[in-house]
Amino acid sequence: MRIRCPFCGERDNGEFSYLGDAAPRRPDGLDASAAAMHDYVYLRDNPAGTLRELWYHAAGCRSWLVVIRDTRTHAIESVEPARDVARARRAATLTGRADHA
Amino acid sequence: MSEAMTSLWRPRGAWEGAARIGRPGAAAGPAGIRLSLREGFGLATLIAADGKEGGLRTALADRFGPSLPEAGTAVFEGETGLVWSAPGQWLAVAPSPRDLKGLPEALRGVAAVTDQSDSRALVRISGAQARAMLAKGVAVDLHPRAFGPGRVAVTSIAHIGVQFWQRDAGPTYDLTVARSFAGSFWRWLEHAAAEFGYEIEAAEGADQRRLK
Repeated sequence: MRIRCPFCGERDNGEFSYLGDAAPRRPDGLDASAAAMHDYVYLRDNPAGTLRELWYHAAGCRSWLVVIRDTRTHAIESVEPARDVARARRAATLTGRADHA
Repeated sequence: MSEAMTSLWRPRGAWEGAARIGRPGAAAGPAGIRLSLREGFGLATLIAADGKEGGLRTALADRFGPSLPEAGTAVFEGETGLVWSAPGQWLAVAPSPRDLKGLPEALRGVAAVTDQSDSRALVRISGAQARAMLAKGVAVDLHPRAFGPGRVAVTSIAHIGVQFWQRDAGPTYDLTVARSFAGSFWRWLEHAAAEFGYEIEAAEGADQRRLK
């Protein structure tokens, strides 16, 4: 499997570390209940199909990436810098739109 | 006593203990690879402050000469240049650490500057078989159509993190590894170069005597 890093180009997956599902959001600090933290830390879906996930280009540009991958075929639909995704989400939050990018 | 103590201290080249001047490997015909051990160069990482890339670009153009290259590329004027390392990060390269002395002050407020002159080992790889040799170690397409002069790769060779950039179409590459990995990296290099025959020389500025 190869991942096309938006900065470095196409690289072998050995250069990357896998974090997992990109969807879980850390419950907000002191308000987080034990149950919410448990869900955040441990509970994951395991879909056979498209998954939006986080990869880290450890042996390259050291960027976190959001990768959309089909878990059955390893076909990769898109790769974008996690920083851009986070910034877009923050901007959306600031303008008051509910955006779960 | 203090005199005896101080006499034990002397600068040590990054490749010292691993590389020796010579012409090892396949003996028939001319050497396919030339390895030039560089010493005494100046190196610093520049990390742009959030949203200050424009300011950094201007400050560098005024103070340094070459300005910020795009992702995956390097710009050089002679031996002075900037090499892309990661988003918002570059390596400033100069013939001597002295050339980078004013950089932290000149870039105050737009970038963090960290001297790396002694943290990396740098070797210049050239010769007719340089591309073939490097291709054995990196999972990056080095074909001239994909990777030519001015291109940079941050990747790994034999599980050792490397950063290299192509200097000319010869091809000539400059390659750096963390200094503490110089010995391990050299083992890979000598195995990869052996079939082509290779020549090891001290670059200008290196102490020739200590590499023999």
